[in-house]
Amino acid sequence: MSVLTERRVTSLVLLLVGAALLSQTFGQAHSGLGAFSPMFFPRIVLGFWVAVAVLDMVAELRDRKAVTQPRLLRVTLIAVASLAFLLSITRVGFFLAAVPFALVALVTLGVRNPVSVAGVAIGVPAALVALFNHILTLPLPTSPFVWWF
Amino acid sequence: MIELLPQAASLIFTIEGIGVLVLGTMLGIILGALPGIGSTVAVAMILPFTLTMSQAPAILLLLAVYAGSVYGGSLSAILINTPGTPQSAATCLDGYPMAQRGEAGLALGWSTVASTIGGLTSAIVLLLAAPQLAALALNFGPIETFALILLGLTCIVSVSEGSLVKGLLAGGIGLFLGCVGGDPITGEARFTFGQFQLISGFNLLAVVIGVFALSEVLIRAASRDEADHGLVSFSGIVLPPLAAWRGRVKGLIKSVAIGNGIGILPGTGAATAAFISYAEAQRSSPNRKNFGKGEPDGLIASESANNAVTGGALVPTMALGIPGDAITAVMLATLTLHGVTPGIRLMADNPVLIAAIFSGFFVINLMLLPMGMLVAKGAAPLLRLREGYMLVLIVLLCAVGVYFVRGNPFDLLVMGGAGIVGFVLRRQGMPMAPLVIGMVLGPTLEISLRQGLIITDGSFGAFFSGHPIAVVLMALAIGMLSLPLVGAWRKRYVATE
Repeated sequence: MSVLTERRVTSLVLLLVGAALLSQTFGQAHSGLGAFSPMFFPRIVLGFWVAVAVLDMVAELRDRKAVTQPRLLRVTLIAVASLAFLLSITRVGFFLAAVPFALVALVTLGVRNPVSVAGVAIGVPAALVALFNHILTLPLPTSPFVWWF
Repeated sequence: MIELLPQAASLIFTIEGIGVLVLGTMLGIILGALPGIGSTVAVAMILPFTLTMSQAPAILLLLAVYAGSVYGGSLSAILINTPGTPQSAATCLDGYPMAQRGEAGLALGWSTVASTIGGLTSAIVLLLAAPQLAALALNFGPIETFALILLGLTCIVSVSEGSLVKGLLAGGIGLFLGCVGGDPITGEARFTFGQFQLISGFNLLAVVIGVFALSEVLIRAASRDEADHGLVSFSGIVLPPLAAWRGRVKGLIKSVAIGNGIGILPGTGAATAAFISYAEAQRSSPNRKNFGKGEPDGLIASESANNAVTGGALVPTMALGIPGDAITAVMLATLTLHGVTPGIRLMADNPVLIAAIFSGFFVINLMLLPMGMLVAKGAAPLLRLREGYMLVLIVLLCAVGVYFVRGNPFDLLVMGGAGIVGFVLRRQGMPMAPLVIGMVLGPTLEISLRQGLIITDGSFGAFFSGHPIAVVLMALAIGMLSLPLVGAWRKRYVATE
């Protein structure tokens, strides 16, 4: 997908999402309540969203500006690793989730020295666990296997 | 109050008193700089330690942590584009661009001096006029609040660099995100789609950190520039020279007044004050064209206002017993735990203690400057790390910060989602600041508009009669919105001439 198409598709998606959400605000349950209706304010906001999204769509269709292609593989790897890390924090504990994330992210971001990669990937999460769990006593999620990390 | 200062000084300038002020301010700055910890968590963390202390040092310790954390949020906002606290979100707008062009030390210098001045003036206002201001705050009803927030929203126009349409769209998305969850008036769930975690809405900090910090990590990962250096170059705070203040003092005074004024209104808070002050500075600054690109005036506006709120917020808390937000509610709890009952009798019943608290607050704000310089100096080596290390560190710190806000795993997912959506929208050329402004100001705008309409039987026209403050504020908002149109018309007129 070219960058120009990517921008147009994003613009269209924003318009469709706004319109779909706006349609949710109409219905018998909320009619005639005026400012008491829970949908009173969202309707104004979403109406505004849709109106501006139409203008944005028109502007995107007219636009011919070229934008640099991103490093798709690199950014996808970092995004997936970040999401996996965020999802697993409360399941396997902060430390066990952070170490593989840091390993993957550092290598993806171009750090190649194995000692530095291992040192940072293990050292930084360990330092954060030590600081928050054992010094500040503001516990981060711990693993189901060992209580101290 | 002034005549009580010698007695108040004897309560502050003890070994215990000075110790808590120094330790509390430093701890507050460090905790505020850690993304997500925020002022409320910082103050709540310290609360148990105050139980064994006597009244004055206990309250001063909490105040030191509070004021320190509000300032501390600006450190991470400027250096890594990650607001430590929501009130520092406006600081990112000009602070980070300054840091990116190699002026991180100077940006921190502006923010430190502005924070110190903001905090000091709010302490003076507290000392001189707390009861009078508390009475004034009671005259501010929902219609006036609506007009004030509307004025704040107009800063979306100024921070929509590149495309006004995209800025407005981002603002609309932000306003909508603020609507998700329980309706503030009826309690009915809105746009939760059966997800019970959404009943309390999207966590503001999770969204702010996602769209600012996580999306920045993704942008840098996607970038084709091979960076083998740190994110920003920084070796310590550089104080701005006196000559650089020329033409900026008026803006500073205005921002401080806005911060103090908004601080005394219960339920508005420092984030709102920072954005409203930013909007006003953008309207009146001679350097308005540089806003969002690293303009010190923008930095001064947000930092002086958010620190000026700290003193203002104590006015209704102490004088009326009404906590304006979660932080002042914790303060109120501390006062009660120490046998002090806040309210209209507080100043009459405990004059020396109150004088000690207010003058101690002045000393705390005086210490922000040296303490801020010390903490920033300590953080400098960290920022010289290679970009890859910094990006990993940012993701880890963001996760820690967001987890601490409510201990809710769902917030971590919200942050991840906001990061990815933020990345896609930023590639689209959409600025993220309007989204955050919409989300910060949206809930107050909604509740004040609906309350106002309920009071006036659904007549919006009645907002303009019998509410002179609201009329002035709305006129300013309309003026602010029409500025770009007038500018465009003038440009076209000059071109045809």
